[in-house]
Amino acid sequence: MTRKKNGLRLAAAALGISALALTGCTSSASNDGDASGAPSGDASGAPITLGTTDKVTSLDPAGSYDNGSFMVMNQIFPFLLNSEPGSPEPSNDLAESAEFTSDKEFTVKLKPGLKWANGNDLDSKDVKFTFDRQLKIADPNGPSSLLGNVESITAPDATTVVFKLKVANDQTFPQVLTSPVGPIVDDEVFPADKVMADEEIVAGKAFGGQYVIDSYNKNSLISMSANDAYAGVLGAPANKSAAIKYYADSNNLKLDVQQGNIDVAYRSLTPTDVEDLGKDSNLVVHKGPGGELRYIVFNFDTMPYGAKTADADAAKSLAVRQAAANLIDREAIASEVYKGTYTPAYSYVPQGFTGAIEPLKELYGTDGKPDAAKAKKVLEDAGVDIPVSLPLQYNPDHYGPSSGDEYALVKKQLEADGLFKVDLKSTEWVTYQKQRVTDYPAYQLGWFPDYSDADNYLSPFFAKDNFLSNNYDNPAVDKLISEQRGMADAAERTKAIEDLQTMVAKDLSTLPLLQGAQVAVAGKDVQGVEKTLDPSFKFRLGVLSK
Amino acid sequence: MGTATLPASNKSWVDKLPIISHLKMSSGLQRGMLISGLALTGLFLIAAIFAPLIAPFDFAQSGNANGDFPRQAAPGGDFIWGTTSGGYDVFSRTIFGAQTAIFVIIAAVVMSLFLGVLLGLVSGYLGGWFDRIAVMLSDAIYAFPSLLLAIVMSIVISQGQSKVFGGVMAAAISITVVFIPQYFRVVRAEVMRLKAEPFVESAQVIGASPWRVMFTHLLRNATRTLPLIFTLNATEALLTLAGLGFLGFGIEPTSASEWGYDLNRAMSDATSGIWWTGLFPGLAIVVTVLGMTLVGESMNDLNDPRLRRFSRKKAKRITEAGVGA
Amino acid sequence: MTITSPPGQVPSPLAAPKPAKQKGGGFLRYVITRFLLIIPTVFILITVVFFLMRVTGDPITAALGGRLTPDQLAERIHEAGYDRPLFIQYFEYLGQIFTGNLGRTLTDNTAVTDILTTYGAATLELAINAVLVALIVGIPLGLVAAKFRDRYPDAILRVLAILAYATPVFFAGLLLKLIFGVWLHWLPIAGRADWQTELQLTTLQAPTGIYWLDALRSGNMEAFVNVTQHAILPAIALGLLTGGVFLRLVRTNAIGTLGREYVEAGRSRGVSEFRLTTKHAYRPALIPIITVMGMQIALLLGGAVLTETTFEWKGLGFKLAEYLTARDFVAVQGIVVLLAIIVAFTNFIVDILAALIDPRVRY
Repeated sequence: MTRKKNGLRLAAAALGISALALTGCTSSASNDGDASGAPSGDASGAPITLGTTDKVTSLDPAGSYDNGSFMVMNQIFPFLLNSEPGSPEPSNDLAESAEFTSDKEFTVKLKPGLKWANGNDLDSKDVKFTFDRQLKIADPNGPSSLLGNVESITAPDATTVVFKLKVANDQTFPQVLTSPVGPIVDDEVFPADKVMADEEIVAGKAFGGQYVIDSYNKNSLISMSANDAYAGVLGAPANKSAAIKYYADSNNLKLDVQQGNIDVAYRSLTPTDVEDLGKDSNLVVHKGPGGELRYIVFNFDTMPYGAKTADADAAKSLAVRQAAANLIDREAIASEVYKGTYTPAYSYVPQGFTGAIEPLKELYGTDGKPDAAKAKKVLEDAGVDIPVSLPLQYNPDHYGPSSGDEYALVKKQLEADGLFKVDLKSTEWVTYQKQRVTDYPAYQLGWFPDYSDADNYLSPFFAKDNFLSNNYDNPAVDKLISEQRGMADAAERTKAIEDLQTMVAKDLSTLPLLQGAQVAVAGKDVQGVEKTLDPSFKFRLGVLSK
Repeated sequence: MGTATLPASNKSWVDKLPIISHLKMSSGLQRGMLISGLALTGLFLIAAIFAPLIAPFDFAQSGNANGDFPRQAAPGGDFIWGTTSGGYDVFSRTIFGAQTAIFVIIAAVVMSLFLGVLLGLVSGYLGGWFDRIAVMLSDAIYAFPSLLLAIVMSIVISQGQSKVFGGVMAAAISITVVFIPQYFRVVRAEVMRLKAEPFVESAQVIGASPWRVMFTHLLRNATRTLPLIFTLNATEALLTLAGLGFLGFGIEPTSASEWGYDLNRAMSDATSGIWWTGLFPGLAIVVTVLGMTLVGESMNDLNDPRLRRFSRKKAKRITEAGVGA
Repeated sequence: MTITSPPGQVPSPLAAPKPAKQKGGGFLRYVITRFLLIIPTVFILITVVFFLMRVTGDPITAALGGRLTPDQLAERIHEAGYDRPLFIQYFEYLGQIFTGNLGRTLTDNTAVTDILTTYGAATLELAINAVLVALIVGIPLGLVAAKFRDRYPDAILRVLAILAYATPVFFAGLLLKLIFGVWLHWLPIAGRADWQTELQLTTLQAPTGIYWLDALRSGNMEAFVNVTQHAILPAIALGLLTGGVFLRLVRTNAIGTLGREYVEAGRSRGVSEFRLTTKHAYRPALIPIITVMGMQIALLLGGAVLTETTFEWKGLGFKLAEYLTARDFVAVQGIVVLLAIIVAFTNFIVDILAALIDPRVRY
């Protein structure tokens, strides 16, 4: 019990520290452990219903790699390390301690006497099984690629697990353990070599998180109740039971939360919905920092003056990117199109992450506002023919329906002073993904992080041979990216991350536009929502009560 | 009569034109329905042809010399039907939407009428293995929900891209593929029935070639339902285009204006009480389909002796004029 | 849509009936031939869908295209076997189907047979409700229209019927959301039941999946009311579409029959001629009705896609659209096979009925 209490106090302390809780809930402002929103004994709370338009691909951590599935896993599976509400930093969940015991060895000690909801023992065998299984199944839809740095896993005794890593001192590794590859599964229920069906997981009661699933109707309705066997960092849930209702259409979600049929609407309401719900006196719109990043990718080969075009010229090509960066009015896009559900992004690492700075604000435009004169000068100095014709692609069905409005506005901003002639096109998602690498000189993409570390916004984008495949190659950037991952000194690493952002901002491999805010709309009787809208981007039903 | 504006000298052949002859033989409410249908369809055609003249703004215009247009502004002032979440003028987009619609309708109708009628005729008359395969194919395609087939076809044809021509042709071809089986079935059934009629048998006995029998005797009779098919196909093309647009497989908003896409975007406005972004494009669809269906139904009634209302005096003229349809 | 008017405009209404041509043997033989035709129909459809789906892309790109490098994607596609020659994949799939194994969906790892039963029940429920609405609306109003033929009630009803057809279901959905969701709050506009009710119904022993039936069986009247409330708007939206077609069909045929009886009665006053008329003129008029009814099944399934999407009615059409966007071939193929079988059987029954009524239709 002491352990449990300790966790709770930590949770409350974290709340006090968190400057990110936008809307205050009076009871949670107190630092007293018992008065915090997570009561220990009196979990009398009425059932909480959450509505979402996300979807579950699979409850099996080996079989899915998406927000919708991960959100449910966060409620029902334990992690070695998990972040407490209010903080993105990993802290011990199943682990009693977790640290580098040598350069390439990360050792986790488990708490003793852990149990699964079905009564099975939860020990190091389960942990080893979990990660071995991820690597063995390597499902096409799964997250096993996040374990790229793991060489092998051993379990010397029942409470010890040792991860042997390929790259020394990987500072992102604790974060990886909180990521979609991190949920621990029961080795007595899950098969070692294939993804398990959701119904079988539910039937086997293979739960070890805050909740157990009582009734499971895939992508329609999940009903859960508190798991007494859970002894991790999140503590006992503030409500006795919770349900998740799935919607296909955000406006049905909006109407249901407005009419009180559900308590909380989370992901994804349209900007118009959020604005309208904000006017409803029975509801509260909660906003927290978001990890989602929206940006334009430039293909260094095929963009105007790109390396593989007839009039290839690296300097001119850079001028074109810089001119575009000077002309974009992020403020206008955020307020007009997204009505504040997104905020301007002047960097590659979203605000709220350790090491995030805003280099694009200083380098381009004037005080974050567009500057046509600057753009014109850049183009003229480089000898670029004005107007520049720029083919620009966006996708209308993957990054929300407002993409059309967003890119219509981008086109308008670029063309406003006659410096660009934008040929705007949209393409359906699957074709888009096939064509973007080869065919699109400039195009829209979005990013949602795997875990809450700045590196997750740098390595995948700017290291050599990254997933963008936009032919950006800056050896200095590449070198620093791989170096910072192994920097054990936090200050040194932060400095490196800051430098990286400035370096990339000068090259403009991509042009960040917006950073997403996490938005949850809840009835005004629902408490605790703001606690979970933190930079870990994990929505925890356990903090809600009413 | 209703066509008083026509010069008298032209009367002989003008009177035989489908719509005009129908107008002349109609009376009472039937005429009322036909005329109101023609009026609504006329409205649609005028909007489509003169869109650039009627619409105050371009369909993808979200600002002018005076600055940006307001977003989601209520009807009134410069924007008689309000503006959308993208800052476009609803009235202008609705008018320009007629243009997109008519391109798709023409392309789809021409293609599916031609292919569907031809296949139905040949298949129904010749029978045998060709008929069986054609029936099987059409049954199979028919069994697939039409809108989903249209979605798949539009992905295959346009590769999901949003170009205007590509989008229009993708919609048109998808619609064609979906409707060929339907018209094939109808024409084939009619041909099968007519095949047993005495006039076909007598033609066969005289020694007319199969092609001659098909294209002179059968085509003429089997396609009496043509005006109905025509309007049904046109309305269905429009509804499918709108359905594609609604489900997000339509045309990019800055490339062309399309009612279904606008309705899709308007859904989230509607739940916030913003009614004008969805109401007008939706009404445009309803009015256009209503107009064309009224014309088609009236013509069908007038072609069908059991449903036709006419005075005895008119009877003779009608039988002559009606066949031309 | 469908052909709403029977192609029955016979130039000489009383053309002498010819004896049926018995080209290929008797009725039984026709039935068997026609039945066997179902197999190639379904087979063709599976084939068409299989290849069309492969052309449109793969589920891995759809799911992870925005996260992985092209090489990683290619590797995963290779692991899943989607880069093998199409024909090999095709025959593999056929082999699976023959053993009755429809596979598991690629995007959410569920047995296709589970998808079919769970969501099929929802679609069936919607279809039953819609047909009820269509019959209740279509037949009486069609008779009324015929009785007041070419007078104002007729004109109004016909325009209403056309309006029902002319209003896309998603536009109707938008208006209903405005009226009921935003302004009046009388009826729910999305889903099949409240989450509490849904929870009660899905935790029942051996649920049928048809909610009102489950509610009745468990004697839960509160749930029944809730389910009925949710069913009203979708049933009306889809039912009116079909109801308009029924209305016009009933009207046309009622007028045709009435007119002919009147003519015959006036002309002959003889029973034998009346019987001649009914036997030779009335019966063929039934064929278009049956054909249209049959077509309505396919139409209902097609219309269900938009209705289900608009009203968030989680049925087969809804899932099909979803799986199509995710390029989940296995799921799409499975659902299409089921739909194909339903429609092919309906067509079979329609043709058999038509042949029973009018032997000339036989091959």
